[in-house]
Amino acid sequence: MGFLITSLIFLVVGIIACLCTRICCNRGPSTNLFHLTLVITATICCWMMWAIVYLAQMKPLIVPILSEGE
Amino acid sequence: MGEIARGGCCPPMDLFRSEPMQLIQLIIPIESAHLTVSYLGDLGLLQFKDLNSEKSPFQRTYAAQIKRCGEMARKLRFFKEQMFKAGVSPKCSTTQFDANTDDLEIKLTEIESELTEMNANGEKLQRSYNELLEYKLVLQKAGDFFHSAQSRAIEQQREYESRQLSGESMETPLLQDQELPGDSSKPVKLGFLAGLVPREKSMAFERILFRATRGNVFLRQTSVEDPVTDPVSGEKTEKNVFVVFYAGEKVKAKILKICDAFGANRYPFAEELVKQAQMISEVSGKLSELKATIDAGLSHRVNLLENIGTQFEQWNLLARKEKSIYHTLNMLSLDVTKKCLVAEGWSPVFAIKQVQDALHRAAIDSNSQVSAILQVLHTRELPPTYFRTNKVTSSFQGIIDSYGVAKYQEANPTVFTVVTFPFLFAVMFGDWGHGICLLLAALYFIIREKKLSSQKLDDITEMTFGGRYVIFLMSLFSIYTGLIYNEFFSLPFELFGPSAYECRDLSCSEATTIGLIKVRRTYPFGVDPVWHGSRSELPFLNSLKMKMSILLGVAQMNLGIVMSYCNAKFFRNNVNVWFQFIPQVIFLNSLFGYLALLIIVKWCTGSQADLYHVMIYMFLSPTDDLGENQLFAGQKNLQLTLLLLAVVAVPWMLLPKPFILKKQHEARHGDESYAPLPNTEESLQVESNHDSHGHEEFEFSEIFVHQLIHTIEFVLGAVSNTASYLRLWALSLAHSELSTVFYEKVLLMAWGYNNWIILIVGLIVFIFATVGVLLVMETLSAFLHALRLHWVEYQNKFYEGDGYKFHPFSFTLLDEEEEIL
Repeated sequence: MGFLITSLIFLVVGIIACLCTRICCNRGPSTNLFHLTLVITATICCWMMWAIVYLAQMKPLIVPILSEGE
Repeated sequence: MGEIARGGCCPPMDLFRSEPMQLIQLIIPIESAHLTVSYLGDLGLLQFKDLNSEKSPFQRTYAAQIKRCGEMARKLRFFKEQMFKAGVSPKCSTTQFDANTDDLEIKLTEIESELTEMNANGEKLQRSYNELLEYKLVLQKAGDFFHSAQSRAIEQQREYESRQLSGESMETPLLQDQELPGDSSKPVKLGFLAGLVPREKSMAFERILFRATRGNVFLRQTSVEDPVTDPVSGEKTEKNVFVVFYAGEKVKAKILKICDAFGANRYPFAEELVKQAQMISEVSGKLSELKATIDAGLSHRVNLLENIGTQFEQWNLLARKEKSIYHTLNMLSLDVTKKCLVAEGWSPVFAIKQVQDALHRAAIDSNSQVSAILQVLHTRELPPTYFRTNKVTSSFQGIIDSYGVAKYQEANPTVFTVVTFPFLFAVMFGDWGHGICLLLAALYFIIREKKLSSQKLDDITEMTFGGRYVIFLMSLFSIYTGLIYNEFFSLPFELFGPSAYECRDLSCSEATTIGLIKVRRTYPFGVDPVWHGSRSELPFLNSLKMKMSILLGVAQMNLGIVMSYCNAKFFRNNVNVWFQFIPQVIFLNSLFGYLALLIIVKWCTGSQADLYHVMIYMFLSPTDDLGENQLFAGQKNLQLTLLLLAVVAVPWMLLPKPFILKKQHEARHGDESYAPLPNTEESLQVESNHDSHGHEEFEFSEIFVHQLIHTIEFVLGAVSNTASYLRLWALSLAHSELSTVFYEKVLLMAWGYNNWIILIVGLIVFIFATVGVLLVMETLSAFLHALRLHWVEYQNKFYEGDGYKFHPFSFTLLDEEEEIL
C-alpha cells in the first residue's frame, strides 16, 4: 500500500467518523460543529503521525544492522 | 453588547467562545425578594454584583437574619457532633420537608434544649453511678482489710489463750503477759477514713500523710485490678483503695485536706461487718436502679438523635440555602423608598427567559402585587467568562483555566486541546500495552462514575477521577501511537505485514556488518519491526522522533497563530491581522516552516543533505552555493527570499502597530482636545473621558514597549519553542528505553535462570516496575510535558487568559463552597 492509498483510507475513515458523530449525536449546529472539529483534528493528528513515520522509512539512509547475538 | 459589535471568521461553535453575557438590573419588591432570590438560586444562572461593597457585614440590611442562620448552623453542627459521638449516621430520607425557616428555627431550638438537658441529666446520673461504683469497691476492699485484721486478731487471741492454757512456759516473755491484756482491756478510740486515690499518686499520698502526721497514722492500701471511672473527670484511671487510721480530730482535719489535694474520693464506711454487708447490698441495689435509668435515658437519646438523623441533611440544606439567600440579599441595594431592592448581575443572554420566568413565578407565589422588573444595562465593564461544558470537556476546560481564565469571548484553546493534549501525551507515551493498562484504569473510573461521584474520595483518587475522560482519551491515543511505534511492552509485532527488510544474500553473513537491505515496499503502518534490537535502532529512531517533534511543533504553533487570527477577526481588530498575524505567520514559516519542508523533501528524495548545515549557512552565508547539500533546484533563491521575508517581518511586527494605535486614538479624541469647558452637569462624564484621554496619551511609550516585548518574545520564542518541542522526542525515547530495560533486564533475565521461583520474583518485579515507573511516573511526566507544550508553546501565540470566571448564585454549588470554607 502506498502513501496515497493509505492517506485516502485515513480520509475515508475521517469522513465516516464525521458522519457517525453527526448522525449519532445531533445536538444542534454549534455542538455538531464542535464535534466535527474534534474528529477532524483527531484524524489530522493521527494521519500526520502515520505519514511522518511512513515517509521516514520510504527512502532509508540507514538500514537495520542486526546485533551480534542474533 | 455582544453580537452586533462582534464579527466572526466562522459560524458559532460550542466552547469556542464563552457565552455572551449581559448585565441585568432587577428591581424586586421587598416582600417577594426572598422568594425571588431563592428561585434564582434554583436556576443558578445569575451572578449578583455586590452593590454594598462599601458597607461592612454588620451594616447590611439582613445582618440579623444571617446571624440567625449562623446560629442555626451552629445548632446543626452541635447535632452532628452529638450524632457522631453516639455513632448515629445521618440518613438521606426522601420525604420532602417543607417547613419555613421560622419553624425550623423553633424546632432546632427545642431539640437543642432537650438534647442539652438530656446530656446534663445523663452526665449527672453517670457521675453518681460512678461514685456508687467506687463506693462499692471501697466497701469490698476495705471490708477485706477489716475482715482479715479481725481474723488475725482472733487468731492471736486464740494463740494467746492457748499459750496461757499450756501453762508457764520458760520461753514466754514476761512483758507480753502484761501488754496483751492491757491492749484488749483499754481500747484506744481510733478513727478511720476510707476512699480511693489514683495509683500514680499513691506513693506521694502515703509520704505526705506520714510527714504531716509525724507517723501517727496507719495507712493500708490495696490496688484495684481494673481501671475505675473517675466520677469527676469521667476518665478511666487506675486507683488504689486506702484506709487510713488516725487518732484525734486534728489529725483528721489534716488528712481530709490531704485527701482533697490528691483528688482522693472518700466514702463513709462502717466498722461493723453486719453494717458493711448491709451497705454493700444497699449500694448494689442502687447501682442496678441507676443503671436501668441511665440505659433508659441513653436509648431515649439515641432515639432522638436518630430522629434528627433522618432529617438532618434536609435541615442542613435548608439552613445553608437560607444563609446564602440572605447573603445574596445583602448584596442588593435598598431603594430610596425602602419598598424595593435593586439587584445587578451578570447573566448569559440565553438565560434571560428563564430569569424572567423565575421572577414571574416568585411574584405569583409570594402574592406580591407587582412583579419584579428586569432591564438590561449597558456597560463597558468586561463580563465574566462562562463556558457551558459537559463532563468530558469540563476537565479539559479545567486544564486551560488553571493557566488563566479566558478573556470574555476570546478564542478558547480547549476546542483543540481536547484532541491535541492527549495526542501530544501519547507521542511521549507510545506503547499500546501500556495504553491498554491506562485504558482499563480509565474505563474502571468511567463505569463506576455514578457511584464514585457520590462518594468522598481522597485527594489523589479525586484528581484521577476528575480527569477520567482525559486519561481515557490519552490511553486511546497512546494505543494508536504505540501501534505506530510498534511497541507492546517494548516488543514489536508484525501486525501489518512482513518487514520490508531482508538479508542481502542467503547466508545472511553481512546482516551484522553492513546490514539488511530493503526488498519490499515500506512497512505500511508504523515503525518496521526489524529495527527493534538492531544496532542501528537508536540512530534511526532518534532521527525520526526528532524530526517528528519539529513537524508536530511547527504544525501546532501554526494552529496557535491561526487562533490569533480568529480572535482578531472576531474582535474586528484589523491592526492585529495585518501587523501581527501576517508577519508572525511569515516569520515562523520562513524559518521553521522551511525546516519542516526540508525534512519532508529529504525523506521523499532520500537525499544525503545535512539539514543542520543548510539551516546554519542560510543565516551565515546565504549567498554561498549549497553544493552537495542542495535538495531541490532553486533552493538558494528560495532561501534568500525566505530570509528576506523573515528579516522584514520583524520590524513589520514591531513598528506599525503602536503608531496606528496612536493615530486611531488621536482620531477618536481629536475633537475633545479643543472642546469648550464643560458645564457642571456634564462634568462628571467628561472628566472620566479626560481621564482616559490623558491616560492613553501617556501610554504611547507603554504600548511601544509592550509591542517591543511582544515582538522579541515572538522572535526568540519561535526558536526556543521549536526547540522545546524536542521534549516529545526525549520523553518518548526515555519511555521506550525504560520499558526495554525492564523487559530485558528483569523479565528475560529471570526467564534465563530456568527456575520458577526466580521467574515469579522477576515477574513481580517487572509488574511493579511497569506499574510504578512506566504507568504512574511516566504518565505523570508525559502529562506535565504535554501540559507545558499547550500552556506555553501553543497558547502564548494567541491566548490572553486575563478574564474572570462566571460564578452564578446557585444552590447546587453550595456543597462545593462549604467544603472550601
